[in-house]
Amino acid sequence: MPVAHALASGMGGIRTAGDLVARMQLHRKMRLPQAKEYVAEKLGVGLDQLADEVSMRELREDLDIGVITAVPGAAKGLAAKSRIAKLLDIEIASVERLKEKMR
Amino acid sequence: MNEQEILEATAESIIAADEEKAVELARQALDMGLDPNRVIAQGFSEGMKQVGDLFERGQRSLPEVIIASEAMVAAVDILSEALPEDSQSKKVGVALLGTIEGDVHDIGKGIVATLLRVYGFQVHDLGRDVPLDDFVAKAKEVDADIVGSSALMTTTMLGQKALEQKLRDAGVRDGIRTMVGGAVVTQYWADKIGADAYAEDAQEAVTKALELVEG
Amino acid sequence: MKGGAITRHRTRMGDGRVVEMSTDEIRADIEAGTEDAADKGQIEPLTSDEQDYILELMTAPYRVVAVQPGNEVVLTDDGSAGALYGPQSSSGTGTPVSREQAIRVYERGFCLDTMEVGHPDYSFRPVKPIVPMEQQTIESVLQSTIIPIYYGAMPNLALYYDPDGPFGNPADFLPKAMIKEAREAQVQAAEVCRRDMIYISKKMAEVGADGINFDTTASAGDAEFLATLQTVEELANTTDLSIEVGMASEFVLGMHGELEYQGKRLAGMYPHDQVKMVEAAGAHVFGPAVNTSTRRSSAWNIARAVALTKACSQVATIPVHANVGMGVGGVPMSETPPIDMVTRASVAMVEIARLDGL
Repeated sequence: MPVAHALASGMGGIRTAGDLVARMQLHRKMRLPQAKEYVAEKLGVGLDQLADEVSMRELREDLDIGVITAVPGAAKGLAAKSRIAKLLDIEIASVERLKEKMR
Repeated sequence: MNEQEILEATAESIIAADEEKAVELARQALDMGLDPNRVIAQGFSEGMKQVGDLFERGQRSLPEVIIASEAMVAAVDILSEALPEDSQSKKVGVALLGTIEGDVHDIGKGIVATLLRVYGFQVHDLGRDVPLDDFVAKAKEVDADIVGSSALMTTTMLGQKALEQKLRDAGVRDGIRTMVGGAVVTQYWADKIGADAYAEDAQEAVTKALELVEG
Repeated sequence: MKGGAITRHRTRMGDGRVVEMSTDEIRADIEAGTEDAADKGQIEPLTSDEQDYILELMTAPYRVVAVQPGNEVVLTDDGSAGALYGPQSSSGTGTPVSREQAIRVYERGFCLDTMEVGHPDYSFRPVKPIVPMEQQTIESVLQSTIIPIYYGAMPNLALYYDPDGPFGNPADFLPKAMIKEAREAQVQAAEVCRRDMIYISKKMAEVGADGINFDTTASAGDAEFLATLQTVEELANTTDLSIEVGMASEFVLGMHGELEYQGKRLAGMYPHDQVKMVEAAGAHVFGPAVNTSTRRSSAWNIARAVALTKACSQVATIPVHANVGMGVGGVPMSETPPIDMVTRASVAMVEIARLDGL
């Protein structure tokens, strides 16, 4: 069933900017239009590109914020999230914990 | 007040869960020489039906439904005294309820039990996670008119089908009406297993139970 | 499919069975569904344009429908990917993967925007004795995933009642008209449930969880809703957790009847009122749930669910992620929810109710 929803109406997760828009909802309680505008501005793209797999794939590679396929050397997990946190100007708890461990 | 006004006022007293008012109106109806059965059926019972409807809409809590039912019982007790002994309100029927073995959900079943009592059934509630043989044994013991089972999981609803067979094997199925309910249960399932009725919510359970005992 | 002069459309009932209905029948059901929502919830019915849109969806001759580009929403999932490794009772397929593997599949294979870790016995009470295991699991998941990861569980107040818990069971008291005892049991159990939920949530915050999801809230009625709201309030004030509250059904069952939060009676609240309580408590995301009626058509169910959810979304100041799973949000109550109706419910919810997520 998640696949059905993903096809019908989902943003696409890390295939696109879905996780980034989700973070603005979770962290800042932004409703969808506001969250999309915020992310689009941070990424320097138009709203219509946020769920576009092709342009977002290229952008995610360029920004090294994690892509859906397993690219050796590309940022994954915490590395990707630390770059996302910086990009979106938010704090991600697991990233903050890593920073504490590194001190 | 004329008769129609009395009937409307009795219904309102139940909706308001005002036992004192309900009793006062019951006495007033008797003083006016009104037919007690008519006052119960078209007055107080109508009020109780509306309370049930309000409950299904979320506008009454379950305790409020119980308090309303106590007002009704008090009023009906007054009116029943004026009825010939052989026509005084008897229990509507005997209902046996339980959640199928392996399933521990019982809030919905508890609400059904409450409402059936409110509507005059003698209710025996076996609780949750009830072995099928216990349903059969208790049904025989209390001479149940209705056996109602609840299942909230697709795994446990199979027990409802098995229960139908157990009742047949025990030779009691013909004298019993079965009802099924629960989040995963549907009319299609009830038809498939040969249950007599399916209810989607508590108020419908009461309606169906009344139809089954009257039919 | 055509039958003489009247076109009949392949559609479904709320239990998932295929039926054929004419355009007029579907239209009538859409109208009836929205009227039912308006009547029960005391809200505005859907407009005629909105009903026409649902009709368009329901009569579209395609297996799958989808939103217009640009209208995509955030997609989340609860149940900790139990649909992969869980048994039938979790609507699971019994695929032999670990929770961590399952969540990675959801992130990469199903393209969810957020996910969650949860106990296979998906309630807060069973988690308490094994909190370190849950912490370790979510901590490990957080190392390797990119999408936000919640810890999710159900408040499930019923587990605090006899026979599973230490308190008397209201479902036993109420049929015997023992109202005082029933209410006391609920209040006492709610307090212990609240403490457990706070304890577990803070433990998850310690290891870096992005958020906490209170799933199927108020399944045991108003006392459970109150315990959850009080928990949210505490967590919002003392942690950085993102907090989601997802409901169990469209109105809060009045098992107690007299409980209030911030001066508002909780029993009987519909989604547009529930969301205001959740906002006031400090939550970040709200998930309304509207139950599917198995004896009504999908058209009726979808119209009704959308109407109630739209009313909620219109007044919300936090993101609204409607529950659109098995048996809720217009989706048929079927162990294998049919894709055609899942997508129709999905699109109707997004395009009309203007949701922030599903």
